[in-house]
Formats: sequence, structure tokens, C-alpha cells
Amino acid sequence: MIMFNTLLKKLMHRADDSKDVAKKRLKFALVYDKLEIKDDMLEDLQKDLIEVISRYFEIDRSQLLLDIERGEGSSALILNTPILSARHKNAPQRVPANR
Amino acid sequence: MDGKIIVVTSGKGGVGKTTVTASIGAALALQGKRVAVIDMDIGLRNLDVVMGLENRIVFNVVDVIQGRCKLKQAMIKDRRIDNLFLLPASQSDDKNVIKPENMTWLCNKLRKEFDFTFLDCPAGIEQGFKNAIEAADEAVVVCMPEVSSIRDADRVIGLLYSRSITPKLIVNRIIPKMVARGDMLSHKDVVEVLSIDLLGLVEMDEAVVISSNTGTPIVMQKESKAGMAFNRIAMRLDGHPDLPIEDPLAQKSIWKKLGIKMGRKKGAA
Repeated sequence: MIMFNTLLKKLMHRADDSKDVAKKRLKFALVYDKLEIKDDMLEDLQKDLIEVISRYFEIDRSQLLLDIERGEGSSALILNTPILSARHKNAPQRVPANR
Repeated sequence: MDGKIIVVTSGKGGVGKTTVTASIGAALALQGKRVAVIDMDIGLRNLDVVMGLENRIVFNVVDVIQGRCKLKQAMIKDRRIDNLFLLPASQSDDKNVIKPENMTWLCNKLRKEFDFTFLDCPAGIEQGFKNAIEAADEAVVVCMPEVSSIRDADRVIGLLYSRSITPKLIVNRIIPKMVARGDMLSHKDVVEVLSIDLLGLVEMDEAVVISSNTGTPIVMQKESKAGMAFNRIAMRLDGHPDLPIEDPLAQKSIWKKLGIKMGRKKGAA
């Protein structure tokens, strides 16, 4: 799931409170604990996801956020990224067009 | 009608399980219920000192289970509160002397005698924990707004779910001014991370330390915020599940909170 409200969130709230760091670390720790995976697996996943999305959209990588939302019995991985523009349809899809 | 068996657990030690057990037990007894509190921390008993009953111990829970005495002989009546009884832990045995099936037997006896039985679970998730949750109908998970405590709470919640028990959460030792300036997880953050229903919020309160010094129940102190929070938790357990949960932060004046927010904005600019 990709959401577009990162910028709005950033404007509303400073993200560098120590409790925000705690919350983020906790969310990921709980997922690692449950799935018994290493954290580099999620990093690799993030890299791959960025690559796929970049084929279709111009995104601001510095604003990218990977988050985890827990519901009853399941967790959702949320990649949150501002989209700057759609890539031109005719542009080659694997190589960034305007570079 | 059979009473309820409620286990108080946390995974991590030192988050306030024993205080929560003693306080909710006392509050329910003051509200007219017949209440038993059982110290399941075999080898490291503490519920007795918190309740100020340490010099009255004759028999303990292991004696009852091993048939050395009757349940009634081992139950210690509280000094101040009618209808409140303690079954202390043994100090000389270890947790493996009790088997889960012993707990089923004991809890069936307790259900007949008491409206509420609270089991003060030891820290950890080993035998002592397994014994304590074996015959429990409900569970209360205690955590502090702090990473290691929440992580352990999550583990314990998972283990309870696997036993078909849906636990409820008490967030203990909240420091509102740290929450206000963003240096402590708020109860909303904790609930979001653990995705579990809240039973109550308890502020950090010096009166709790003082009452454990003297072995007196915190719930009898009308001026103690923690004591009043425990009273409200007890009401939620006893027929008033929808009693509103007071936000410790909201007790600060709106102007004070605004001031903190403004101060932060300036600092950020």
C-alpha cells in the first residue's frame, strides 16, 4: 500500500522526538521477533520496492518511509512515498528517462 | 455462581505486577467482592510484603497443592480490608514443584469461594508463567511506556492468545510531563503498537512507593492519583467495563500543554 500523506504528516509533527524513535524501533523489533527475520531482509525489500516504483513514478527518495501497521492477527507493511511525477509512458521503463 | 480467575502478567520484571495485583484486589474487596490474591512467584515471594502481611504467613500455596494443609488454613485475611485474602508463595521451593494440573485443581476450589481470584505471575515465560496462566479465565498485562517492557508485553500477549485468552492492558508509571514533551511513549502509542484493549492508565506516583514501604493499600488513599486509577480499573473489571479511561495528560491544564507545544515550535525553528 502506498500512501501520499507523508508531507502533510511531516508538516504537522516533528518526527525526531525520542518517543517516535522508540515507537519505530519497537514496531520493527516486534516484526523481526515474530517472523524471526534479520533486519537486512526488510532493507532489501525496501530497495526492491523503490526500484519497481521508480520505473513508473518519479519519487523523492529522501522522504521515503517504511512503516508497519499492526491489526488483529496480521501486520501491514506500509511504504510511504511522495510522488513527484509520473514517468512518461513511452520512456524506457528500466532506465530513468530524464537523467 | 463461579468466580473469575484473572492472571496479572507482564513478561518483564519490575513493571508493577505485584502492586497492580495488590491494589486491584484491595479495590474490589472494598467494593464488596470476595477477593483472593495468590502469589505465584514461588521462591521470590513479594505480594505478602506489599500487602503488609509478611509476619502472618503460616502455610503457602505449595503446602496447599501438596496437601500439607487445607486451602482455608493457608489463606491470610487482610488486616484492614474485609473479604480480602492472600495465599502467599513458598520461599524455599522453586517454580517446578507446581504443575499446571495442580493449578486447575486449586483454581476450581478458589472459584467456589471467591468472586475474584488474582494470580500474581512471576516475570519470564517459563514454568512459573505457564502455571499461572493454566487455569486463568482472563488476563491483565501490565507494561510501562518503555521499549523493553512493551516488547516483552507483546510476547506475553501472543502466548496468551495462543491459549485463547484475550488480555487487557494496564499502562503503568506514566510520566505525563515526559509524554507531553515527546520523550515518553503515550498510551495511544503503546496501544497502537500492541493492538490490544486498554483496561487502565496509571501515573507514576510517589505515594505507591510510600504505601509499599508501610504495607498499606494505595487504593485507600483518596489523594493518590495511582490509587484512584486502580479503583477505576477495579470497577471496569466488575460490571462497569465502559467507565471512561482518564488520560493522565488531560489532567494538566490546556494552557500548560499549549506552552509546551509553543516552546517546542520555537526550539525547532
